[in-house]
Amino acid sequence: MASLVAVQQQTQPSLSILPSSLSDFNGTRLHTQLQCKRKVWQTRGALQVTASSSKNILIMGGTRFIGVFLSRLLVKEGHQVTLFTRGKAPITQQLPGESDQDFADFSSKILHLKGDRKDFDFVKSSLSAKGFDVVYDINGREADEVAPILDALPKLEQYIYCSSAGVYLKTDLLPHSETDAVDPKSRHKGKLETESLLESRAVNWTSLRPVYIYGPLNYNPVEEWFFHRLKAGRPIPIPNSGMQITQLGHVKDLAAAFVQVLGNEKATKQVFNISGEKYVTFDGLARACAKAAGFPEPDIIHYNPKEFDFGKKKAFPFRDQHFFASVDKAKHVLGWKPEFDLVKGLADSYNLDFGRGTYRKEADFSTDDLILGKSLVLQA
Amino acid sequence: MFQAPFCLYLHCQGQRRREEEGPYTGGHAVIGFYFAKELLGSGHEVTIMTEIVSAGGRTVWGDPAEVGKAVEGATFDVVLDNNGKDLDTVRPVADWAKGAGVKQFLFISAGIYVRSDEPPHVEGDAVKASAGHVGVEKYIAEIFSSWAVFRPQYMIGSGNNKDCEEWFLDRVVRKRPVPIPGSGMQLTNIAHVRDLSTMLTLAVENPEAANTKIFNCVSDRAVTLDGMAKLCAQAAGLPVEIVHYDPKAVGIDEKKAFPFRNMHFYAEPRAAKDILGWCATTNLPEDLKERFDEYVKIGRDKKPMQFEIDDKILESLKVPVAE
Repeated sequence: MASLVAVQQQTQPSLSILPSSLSDFNGTRLHTQLQCKRKVWQTRGALQVTASSSKNILIMGGTRFIGVFLSRLLVKEGHQVTLFTRGKAPITQQLPGESDQDFADFSSKILHLKGDRKDFDFVKSSLSAKGFDVVYDINGREADEVAPILDALPKLEQYIYCSSAGVYLKTDLLPHSETDAVDPKSRHKGKLETESLLESRAVNWTSLRPVYIYGPLNYNPVEEWFFHRLKAGRPIPIPNSGMQITQLGHVKDLAAAFVQVLGNEKATKQVFNISGEKYVTFDGLARACAKAAGFPEPDIIHYNPKEFDFGKKKAFPFRDQHFFASVDKAKHVLGWKPEFDLVKGLADSYNLDFGRGTYRKEADFSTDDLILGKSLVLQA
Repeated sequence: MFQAPFCLYLHCQGQRRREEEGPYTGGHAVIGFYFAKELLGSGHEVTIMTEIVSAGGRTVWGDPAEVGKAVEGATFDVVLDNNGKDLDTVRPVADWAKGAGVKQFLFISAGIYVRSDEPPHVEGDAVKASAGHVGVEKYIAEIFSSWAVFRPQYMIGSGNNKDCEEWFLDRVVRKRPVPIPGSGMQLTNIAHVRDLSTMLTLAVENPEAANTKIFNCVSDRAVTLDGMAKLCAQAAGLPVEIVHYDPKAVGIDEKKAFPFRNMHFYAEPRAAKDILGWCATTNLPEDLKERFDEYVKIGRDKKPMQFEIDDKILESLKVPVAE
């Protein structure tokens, strides 16, 4: 078993506060380059060597979205992979485009530990009985879910956590970087508290913060929302200016990042934003979905959400603000690089899932009709 | 032994912007001051063409079209042209440099990317074919064996002769509303000029790495227009009232009304980070405090000003202005 390597924390250059004397004309060499610890990355292109030994890996979750892709990659790498789930969803499902042979191979190797992760006693006893080298926590939401896992596995080599860029404090200075302020009051504060707990325990942890994830099997109506409307030939109602900038990351690229941090000493106690390399405006996303799925350019209607009462329904699946994060750290430190650009990724999602007639949520155009109804009235 | 390159820097003469004139060109003249200072600090010899505060560099006056004459036959390793906007202005300099055996030609271009649905602009993205700078970039690539191009955006820093933060401060200190066209969500890059100069210096010191590369010469954070207004007000310790308007509806020329482009104008300095190992240090909240101090020091907060276009905007929106 690989032993834990204590690595000096790679400090990222934070927004430094320079003394004001550096800005006057003294001819002194600016100190900034000395403060900057970034070197030209030699690791670029040379992927971190993954652990040559096969690991005994536990995935909390793994049957719904990210874990479906991650577990396959890990099994392919030769690791022993166990999924901890309540068993509500099938442990394995054949993916569109996956060959029968590959699926059979995967199904024969994947293991299942049935249980409820909220039953902390069961978690502790079952995990300590089995013993695992590495835990991927894909569906954890609250810090109290993590403690029993750590207690059960004192020799754990690495705890790899799926966090969220939703922890960042809203700011006018973008993109978000891993050193940015976080929001202890956000909807994702459970993720933050989990990261803090991991930091406080003597465990080798790594946390990945995705933005909006998309791809085949997505259960969050991100691309699905646009595809429903495009398929129905309906206009796309987008709040306010439509120039709000967001960011989508393909699930397969996220799964690859999860694999790249496994046994990677550069990932020790590090947080990484993982998402697409380019961001996109709301209007741009509507156009990208149309392009990916082979629909004509959509009719976009902008509206002021304040003029409507949608009740409990969400009229638009994204936060009405700029929200995107830089993935420079993962690229530079891990040598990770997304395979999918936005249109290619949306096409992958459409061709393997939504374009085949499958979807998670039924189309519901009631909020659209409210918006469009009012728009028509105004035009008349 | 490392021979520090002998650099010639062509400086763009800018004029102080006055309210009644339209926007002028040459907003990145200030880069040169910092660049020269940085190079001199690193032990390079620098000759600056046109005026500059002396920091140990040699200054020559002249018309860039006759640069050879102006430098009196001196030889240089590196030429940085921060003056030319099109092939007409740059060609004489480039040709002279080529003929005079200059090894590395650096050109300060402009933000000439084509609008995109997918920000940020990164090096390699399509540029507007019609922009004058594009012709220059092509020509330099043809005739020099070692060259690099830098595309800056907006900047702050002492000596900048194009209004940036001043535009916001003028209104905030006079307790006037700040009229911003559109939604105010437009993202742009506003970098402290020292970031640009450190990038240029790294290119001079790493010519092989920089060769044939295009660099977005910006900091690594963008700011919204609303955000910039708020940060300027915070730096001044004052409240701010932002008013949004549609320039077409009001019937004014948005270029005259507001010093920033009414759209996302957002690039990231990925090439500089990847290739030169460069880091950004711009910290707008902190840097703007220093800019505000200087704004007050030169007495601009007390200077009588007219806000004709603002008044027209505010009147059309029926927004009162406190006297």
